Order: sequence, then structure tokens, then C-alpha cells
Amino acid sequence: MQRLLLLGLNHTTAPLDVREKLAFNAQQAREAMSAFRERFSDSEAVLLSTCNRVELYVARAVHGHPRVEEMVEFLSAFHRVPAERFRTHLYEKLERDVVAHLFTVVSSLDSMVLGETQILGQVRSAYDSAREASAVGAILNPLFQRAISVGKQVMTQTSLNEGRVSVASVAVDYARKIFDHFNDKTVLSIGAGEVAQLVLQHFTKLAPGKLLICNRDPQKGQDLAQEFNGTPATFEHLAEHLTKADVVITSTGSPHAIITRSDFEPLLKQRRYRPIFIIDLAVPRDVEASVGDLENVYLYNIDDLQHVVSTTQSQRTDAVESARAIVSQQVDDFVAWHRTREMGPAIDRLYKRYHALAQEELARTLKKLPQITDAEKEHLAELTRRIVNKLLHDPITALRSGGDQHTSAAAYLHALEKLFALNDDAEKSKEDESPDSP
Amino acid sequence: MPTIGQLTLLVIAVAFFATSGAISLSRFWHERNGARIAAKACGWSGVVLGVIVLLWHNATRGSWLPLGDNFDTLIWLGLLLAVFSFYVQRTKPIIGLDWFTTPIVTLLLLAAAIFGRTQPHEYVSTTWSWVHRVSAYGGALAFFVAGAVGVLYLIVNHRLRDKKLAMAGPNLGSLERLEHVTFTSTTVGFALLTIGAITGFIQLVFKHEHTSMAKIVLTVGVWLVYALVLHSPINPSFRGRKTAMLSVLGVLLMIGVLVIVQLMPAGGSH
Repeated sequence: MQRLLLLGLNHTTAPLDVREKLAFNAQQAREAMSAFRERFSDSEAVLLSTCNRVELYVARAVHGHPRVEEMVEFLSAFHRVPAERFRTHLYEKLERDVVAHLFTVVSSLDSMVLGETQILGQVRSAYDSAREASAVGAILNPLFQRAISVGKQVMTQTSLNEGRVSVASVAVDYARKIFDHFNDKTVLSIGAGEVAQLVLQHFTKLAPGKLLICNRDPQKGQDLAQEFNGTPATFEHLAEHLTKADVVITSTGSPHAIITRSDFEPLLKQRRYRPIFIIDLAVPRDVEASVGDLENVYLYNIDDLQHVVSTTQSQRTDAVESARAIVSQQVDDFVAWHRTREMGPAIDRLYKRYHALAQEELARTLKKLPQITDAEKEHLAELTRRIVNKLLHDPITALRSGGDQHTSAAAYLHALEKLFALNDDAEKSKEDESPDSP
Repeated sequence: MPTIGQLTLLVIAVAFFATSGAISLSRFWHERNGARIAAKACGWSGVVLGVIVLLWHNATRGSWLPLGDNFDTLIWLGLLLAVFSFYVQRTKPIIGLDWFTTPIVTLLLLAAAIFGRTQPHEYVSTTWSWVHRVSAYGGALAFFVAGAVGVLYLIVNHRLRDKKLAMAGPNLGSLERLEHVTFTSTTVGFALLTIGAITGFIQLVFKHEHTSMAKIVLTVGVWLVYALVLHSPINPSFRGRKTAMLSVLGVLLMIGVLVIVQLMPAGGSH
């Protein structure tokens, strides 16, 4: 019997400066999965890390490991961040709530930007990553496959992603509040994050005078420059590029800030104090927050932009309701399917045990009735079979449907085994099957 | 001295401008096309009434030379500021500009009504004094625009820094546009003020005309403040917020000069 757990934090529970300390880039996520598997080899895990959330999904035996405290300790040890610094921002969920949360997340209903499709790809990547590390099995495999399918269903069957205000469009709106025209401006893109590329796409529509693409990987920078009709720029000369730039879009995977106040302040004079709009889409942040305090520097991070986007969400309540209905139905279906799967062997044992008891009693009765015909024997056998089936029908239906959906399958199973002494039966059957048994 | 009829028309014009300003300001909370049209209609009605008052006044006094007395001059100043504000809003939309210019227009017209009635001054109609008036008042007009745009710059800058307010309320124009308008207005105003100051100085020294020391000090203050604003391309650390704040300070000093001029026995000099 397996238990589903989730431990995480997101944009609603933790500020950016906490989230960025616990964020995993792709490489770190792979390392974390390996470390997790090494430590908790009997459990399954998926690590979802985006700019808005860090979530660890785990399936383990009811009395197995990791426990929630061990999961907290794992995150703390991996990032070398004391647990006290983020513990209050964490949430934990169990069983059905885990399924409901994952389906809500993948449908973007838990995103800061309702209807954003990126989260679907991020969940898929997290699942693929866990699969590569052989960290998923009988529980998390079907859960994540179903989650991805739910995400697709919400995106295709609702209008959730139509008419939405995106982070990219908000960034452009902000830029328009600072600059009047862009044909004499230089846009500098640092890194090649997915959101940054979306923002860049919007900025290219403004026809900026110059577009500089700066990446640690020169080949990637070259490719991006070609795609956006820009000029590749070397990372080593970042200060020089920052002197020229009017708009900076940055989204590197760097674990530390690449633009610090001490680096940037001397550039102000060289820039002749021209206003600069810096859009920091990276988590952890690429630009030190104090850079935004400098005169004529307008620094916006992902939370600042998403806050504006989220204020437009209330206007799409119909789409949200449709999406929630889909998610709710899918959660019920999955939990019922999962419960049936979990209960299946126990129900089988229950049927076998009671039919066997009935057969024993039938045989004993038939011995006392020697004159009975074969046809009558058939009728009696059918009668006992039907009685057993009828007696078991209601409890088994309740077990399969779950009755109260919020009651853990483990609790039902435990009760079933106790009430009908199925454990003794299972142990006995195991002994029967044992090659050492007489 | 203006007649009761002229003053009545002027007060109605003031009421139109005040209504226009109030309607326009209401758009800060709720943007409506109807309000925009109503504000514009009230504003233009005020302009038309102001022009009628000017024509009537000039016909009464028998002279068509602009800025012939303080009543005529303050109306000219108010109307030119209003028309210039409408022009800027039409060509380079800065939605909130009239929130700041309309109160100044209203005050200028009210000042015309009050000072024109209680402190009427016939201005000396020599070429020197006429050039002095035109350039000084023209400079003041340009500085009013620079000050109003400076306030808008400070609001937009504050909103952008606050971040949560950045998308609130109507679009007041980009910082770049506001900075450009401030700089252009200041450049024009500074040139006119300099001419005004030189012609005033010539009258003071060579024609031995008297003037108030406070007026001279404040005028020099305005001149220095705007010299600093114009200094920003050379010393760019002044650009942005500091320039906007200086523009507003300059306008406050300029208002002081105008008030002193109105309170002086012969309109500042004679």
C-alpha cells in the first residue's frame, strides 16, 4: 500500500528571495533526483522546479520513508539553506490533495498567470527527468501521465489561454511607459530562458534600433541572434553591453547575480544616466535588487510582472470555472481508478475467502443429503454463490467507489483487513505458496 | 479698467475652465470617452469666451496692441497656456497635462479679473517695455508647461518605482516624452526669460525705471533654476527626476514673480 505526499512552496506562500534559494536548474534537478534515489531507494519522486514553485512529489510505502521532515531536510541539505529559513513557507499535502494540487498546477490554475501554457512543458520536463533517473514507478507514472493529459484537456477545451495578458506583453507595456520610441534604443538579452525568448519576441515587434544577444554559450547566442535578427554579443564584455543598452532582458540559470550594484553603479556615468529598463526573469535572480534603487534604473523581476498579469485574471471567471470542473472530474476519476487498483488484490482475497467458506459449508451440507440429485446440487451451489456475492456487494461497491473520497484508501484497506481477517489469510496463502512449506 | 460685462464673461470662462479641469481629473479614476469630450468642450468654450473678453476689452480701450495692461496680459497668458496645452495633448498625447495647466489657467484668469479690477496698470507702450512684457510672459508660459510636465514626470516615475501602481490609472505619457517636453519648454522659456531679463535690465539701468528688489531676486532665481535644468545634457546626473523637480521649483518661483508684478504700483516697472 503506497502513500502519496507533496512538499513544496510557491509564489503564494514564499517571496522570490526564498524561492530563488530553493530553485533547481536542470543540472541541479538531475543531481537532486539521483541523490534522492540513493537515499530513499524504495520510494518514487518527481521534482518540479519553476520560477513560481519548487515541489517534491513522493510516493512511498505507508510506513516507509521519506517522512515529511526528511523531505525538508533533503531540500535544506541540497541547497545548504537552513530549514528554518523556508519551513514556514512550505505546504504539505497527502493522497487525494496531492492529485488535486498537481492537476490544478498543470492546468495553470495555480499559476500567477492563468492560462499560461509553459507550466505544462515544465511538468512534462520534471516527469521526464524523474523517469531518466528511474525515480518514478507504479504510482507516479500514471499520476503524471494523467496530469499531462489533464493539462492538455484544459488548454484545448477551455478558453483559459485566450485573451490573456502575458508577462511579455506587460514587460512591453512597462517599456512604453519609460520610452517613447524604440528605433534609437538598444535591447540586450542575456541568457536564453523560455520566458525571455517570449519577451524578446514582443520587443522585436517594437523594431528596436539594435538587438544584442548575449549568452555564455556562443553557439546558442549565435543561433538566437539569427532567429531574432540580432547581433551576438560576448558574455565577457557584459559591462560594455550594459553601457549601450536601454532595455535588458535577463534569464540565465546562474545561481548568483550576474549584475551587482557594485558592478553597475560605475556604468551609470558612462551611460550618461540614460534610463534603463531591466527585466529580470531569472530565478534565482540575475540582478541584485539594490540595482533597482539607482537613479534612472527601472528593475522589474518576474514577480513584479506577474503581479500585474494576475490582476487581469478575475475577468475570465467563466473559463476558470470550466477548467476547474475538468480538473475536479479528473481528480475524482483518477482517485477512483487508483483506489480500485490499490483495493483490487484485497477485494480478490475477500471474494476468494468467502466463496471458499461457502463451498466448505455447502460440501458439509451435501454430505448430509445423500439422495440429492445433481440438478439440485447445482441449484444449491448457485444459491451459495449468489448469497456470498450479495452479502459482499455493498461493502465492495463502497470500497471501489471510495464513498467519502477524502478518506485515504490505506484507511479502508486497513479496516478491511482487520474486519475480515484478510492478513491472516494472506499470510496463510503466502505460507502455502512458500517452497519451504510442507 | 474692465467693465462689469467683461468681468462677468471672464468669470463664466473661469467656470468653464474649472469644470473642464474637474471633468478631466475624474478620468484619473475612471476613463470615459464622454468625460474626455465634455472636458474638451468646456475648455474650448472657456477659450472662446476669453477671446471675446479680450476683443471687447481692446475695443473699449481703443488699442489692439496685446499686453497693453495687466488685465489684457493675464488673459493672454491664460488663453495661450490653455491653447498650448490642448495643442500638446493633440500632437503628443500627455493625458494628465491639463490637470496641471487648467488650474493655472483658471488662476491666471481669476487674477486678471481681480487685479484688473483692483490694481489696473496701463503698461508703458514703448518697444523696450513691450518686448520685455512679451518675452517675460512668454517665458512664464513655457515654464508653466515645463512645471506641469515635470509634475507628470514625477508621478510616472513614482508609479514605475512603486511597481504595483505602474499600471494604475490613465497613461500619462512615457518618461522619455515628458522629459523631452520639459526640456523643449524650458529651452524656449529660458530664451524668452533671458530676453525679458536683458530688456528689463536695460530699462532699469538706462531708463532709470524702478522695480522691486524681490522681483529681481526671484527672476534671477528662476533664471538660475532653469539654467540648471538646461545644464542636464552637459551634466547628465541632473536628468530625470532632478530636472523635473527643478522645473516645478522654477514654476513656483515664477508664480512669485508674477504675484509681485501684480502688486507693484505700475505693474513692476514704469
